[in-house]
Parts: sequence; C-alpha cells; structure tokens
Amino acid sequence: MLRRSLAILGLLAVAVLCVAPARAADAPRRIVSLDLCTDQLLVELVPRDRIAAVTHLAADPTVSAIPEQARDIPITRGGAEDVLRLDPDLILAGPFGVRGTVDLLQRLGRRVVIVPQHQQLSGVREAVQTVAEAVGEPARGAALIADFDRRLAALPRRQTGLEPTAIIYQIGGSVSGSHSLADAALAAAGFRNGATGYRLTRGGQVPLELLVADPPDLLVLSSAPNEYRTALADNLRHPVIATLRREHASIGLPWRYWLCGTPHIVDVVEKLAAVRAGIEARAR
Amino acid sequence: MKAAWANTEPNARTLLGGLAVVALLAFILSLAIGPVGLGRGLPGEAGALIFREIRLPRAVLGALVGASLGLSGAALQGYLRNPLAEPSLVGVSGGAALGAVLTIHLGLSAAVALTLPLGALLGAAVAMLAVVALAGKHGGPVTLILAGLAVSSLATALVSLALNVSQNPFAMVEMVFWLMGSLADRSLPQVWLAAPFMLAGIALLLLLGRALDALSLGEDAARSLGIDIARTRTMVVAGTALSVGAATAVTGIIGFVGLIVPHALRPLAGHRPGLLLPASMLGGAIMLLLADIALRLVQPWVELRIGVLTALLGAPFFVWLVLKTRSELAP
Repeated sequence: MLRRSLAILGLLAVAVLCVAPARAADAPRRIVSLDLCTDQLLVELVPRDRIAAVTHLAADPTVSAIPEQARDIPITRGGAEDVLRLDPDLILAGPFGVRGTVDLLQRLGRRVVIVPQHQQLSGVREAVQTVAEAVGEPARGAALIADFDRRLAALPRRQTGLEPTAIIYQIGGSVSGSHSLADAALAAAGFRNGATGYRLTRGGQVPLELLVADPPDLLVLSSAPNEYRTALADNLRHPVIATLRREHASIGLPWRYWLCGTPHIVDVVEKLAAVRAGIEARAR
Repeated sequence: MKAAWANTEPNARTLLGGLAVVALLAFILSLAIGPVGLGRGLPGEAGALIFREIRLPRAVLGALVGASLGLSGAALQGYLRNPLAEPSLVGVSGGAALGAVLTIHLGLSAAVALTLPLGALLGAAVAMLAVVALAGKHGGPVTLILAGLAVSSLATALVSLALNVSQNPFAMVEMVFWLMGSLADRSLPQVWLAAPFMLAGIALLLLLGRALDALSLGEDAARSLGIDIARTRTMVVAGTALSVGAATAVTGIIGFVGLIVPHALRPLAGHRPGLLLPASMLGGAIMLLLADIALRLVQPWVELRIGVLTALLGAPFFVWLVLKTRSELAP
C-alpha cells in the first residue's frame, strides 16, 4: 500500500517535472528584472505572482512612474548570486550597466532578454513588444501599444507655424540634449529643444547666465528644488530661476515620467502639448 | 585693538596697498567676465539680473574664499612654524566638506538656517584639533603632513560614504563638487550664509600678527614676550575653522591657495609672519579671482573646475617645497 502510494507520488513528480518546463517556456513564472525601465514594463504586463523580483528603484517615487504598483514586490540587489538565489526562469535587463552580470547568468544557462532602450518614442513600442513577447503576454502588450498610439494621435494639433523652444533643466545645470527621450517628448508635443541653441559645457550644462540672457519659451524643471538632498541642486534653488519662472512659462515635469521609454512618457507629451497650445493661443 | 598693519613701515604699506589695488582690479574684472560676454548689448533687465544675481556673488565669494584660504595658510604656517601647513593639506577643508555634506544629507540645511556653515566649521575645527593632537607639539613638517594626510583621507572617505549611503542618484557627481570645488552659479543667499562666518574668521586671524611674530622666535621666547600660547592656539583653530569652514560649505574644497600665496609673498613681507597675514589675505583673494577669471575665459569649451586649476598650479609648487625642505633637513 505504502509502496504503491509512493510509486504514484513518484509518477506524479515525474509528470510535474515533465510538464513544468514546457509551461515555463510558454509563460515564465519566476521573472526577475535588473533595470528600472524593464521593472516598470514588467509590472504593467504580468500579474504580480509571476514576478520574482525587481530593482529597489521600481518603488522609488523619485525615479519610478509606478511606485505604488511595485511597492510589495521582492527586491533584487542585482548581482548574479542574488539573482540565482531567486531561481528565475526569465531575466530582463537593460542594455547598460549590467553586462558582467548578464554574461555570467547566460553562461550559467539562464534565459536573459536584453530590452532595447532607444531614445525615441518608437522605441517605446519596441520595448513593450520585446517584454510582452518574452513574458508571454503579447495581447496585453498590443493593448498597451494601441492605447499609447491612440493618445499620441489625439494630441492637440499645431495651429500656427510657431515652434516655441523649451529646455529641460536638471539638477547641476544639465539640460537634455538631442537623442534623448526628453527631446523626443518635446518634439512630439510641438516644441523645439532649446538646448541646442546654447553653447553648452562638455558636461552638457548650460550656465545660468546664458539661460537668463536668452530664456526659452518654456522652462521645464525635472525636479523640485528640495526633492533631493544634494548640493548639486543649488542651481534649482538659485534666485534667478525663481525670477525666470515668474516672468516666463515654466512647468515642473518630474523626470520619473521620461527617464524610461515606457508608455508613461505619453503623460509628459500630453502635458507639454497642452502648454504649447496655450503658448500658441496667447501668440495669436 | 589696532590692526596688524597700522604702524608698520612705509614699504609694508606699499606692499599691502599694491596688493589691495590688484585685488580690487581682479574683483572688477571678475564682474566683467562671463559666458554672455562684456556689455554686449544685453537687454537692461536681464543684464542687471546677471550682474547682480550671478556675477556679483561669484566675485564676492572668489574674493572672500581666496582671502580665507590665503590667510589661513599664512596663519597655519606661522603658528605651526611649518612651511607645508595649508588648510586642504592638513585636512581642515576635508573636515569642513564632511560637515557640510552631513548637514545637507541629513536634511538639516534645508530645515534650519545656518546649519550648513555651522556644520562645516564644526567639521573644520574637529579636523584641525585632530591634526594638532596627532602631530603633537614638537612634530616636524613630515609628522604634520602625515597627520594631515590621515585626517583628510578619512574625511573624504566619509564624505564618499555619506553620499553613497544617502542613495542620492547624483552621489558621484556631487563627490566631484566637494573634492574639486566650484564658484560656478553661486547665489547671493549663499554669500549671506557664508560671508559673516568668513569675515569673523578673517578678523580673528588678522589679530594674530604680534603673536606669530613672537612665535617665530620660538615658543619660550614668545611666552617671555607675554604671548599666551593657549589663547593663540584657540584663535588659530577658531579663525581657520570659521573662515575655511564657511568657505568650503559653499564652494567645496579648493586646495593649495593657502600654500602658494604665503610662500610667494614671504620674501616681499620680509619674512615677518605679522605682515604676511594681511598680505596673504589679499594675495589669496587675487589668486582665486584670477584663477576663476582664467577658468571662465575657457569654460564654455572645457569643463574645468577651480579646484583642478589651483591644484595644477599648486602641486608643482608643493614638489618644489618638498625638495627645498629636504635639502634643508638633510644632515
């Protein structure tokens, strides 16, 4: 009797072992993400119970667009050892910064998908699609992309030939240049990126003096002056920024919305397009 | 109390007068230079804003920070009777940076006014006392430099630790700010914050003229001339901590000014520490203002930091001093 039950249990175990890998190949059930951007795509595409871990940044409201949704998901510190501890059947990574970890995990036979992060709006579709296919949720991915495209198409059209300038001014005086997602968001909203009009330092900063002498039509601040405890934010606390904000159009657009090429970038584009429509209306 | 230079002979007055004129010219030149260019028909309002809110604080801080560094260098060299003493080399600047970083990252500087300069000058004072205690009373130049190296390495390591622990996404860049100093895009509120402390420290150090003159004859001789050694020490520590602490709190660590300036002026000051003090104050202001002007003439193309420039000037000078000290100490 006992022997028979054991045999059945054994057979069951074999059956589970045979079936489980097949199912995992279709839809991974223990997914680990090693990048803030893949964290956000993953959280929006698959149910919680299939996510093994994300980075600590996913729940950080200063850089993540979806901190609440990521709140209680376990965290990986990112090293290969920490990832293996979670025994993942799929690892998502970005193209930067984790090369060594990714190489090691691949050599150990783990399935790693590198999600491209092209710094343009079309890159959002590619990133969503890549993750959706890897996690086995192509329908959900297609729905996200369709919603993204619908919102982009619904943006207010430009009424005049006017192309106002905007710059995205960051901590330390850096501005977002061309070939950045922020630049793509500005373009989609009908702004010209004013950063190219200044003589920037090699580090990509615009000196405050130049900003005052030749202010853009719209000043976009990527963080609040006291959002970060850092001496580098002194430039955001400088009195001339307050003066500029009083005398010219400005908007605070936290960089959590455009740091990653997720569909949330359309939130930024919509806000910017509304501001542009306002500037146009006043000019007419 | 009479100022140190009130009753000095004519050539001392010529030296200080000449330095004051050069400092004034450098200050005016500093106001005239910037990426926007010299009076190139800016709309009046923007021009006034740039002048008042951007260039004025930069020039004032350049003058005050340079004066603080030059003067503390002269005071430290005179008090310690050690040619290699200098705020950044003996760890005072590092201590100040640590104090400033801690007040910023604990959120104190945003919550309570004045905590930033106070934290920095506390850090400077602790570092200064640690170095004096480590080097001991009769430690030679080498002991002092070793003690300074230990204290400044520890201070900068702790700055790095504090920045990393704070999980600040800008930790690495901010590290560069603290270690290499910058006068770029400083503001008037920062001047109001730091200037009173710098001025108080400068005043304290300028009062040391007679004591340092006497100390150059040795401690016993100084005591017989009625100099209170303990009080002198308190004034050196407090004056250096106030001036260098407040300076570092708003500009980061700017090295070597306190080393180069007193040495360059010592022959002109007739090797009298009492005269060297005001001369180094003016000389420090001149050096930092000119360095900052040079920086801005090339800045839009290269991103050079003022601490890098002073180190580029200072390090060869330091090597020369080491060689000189070595030949003097050789048996």
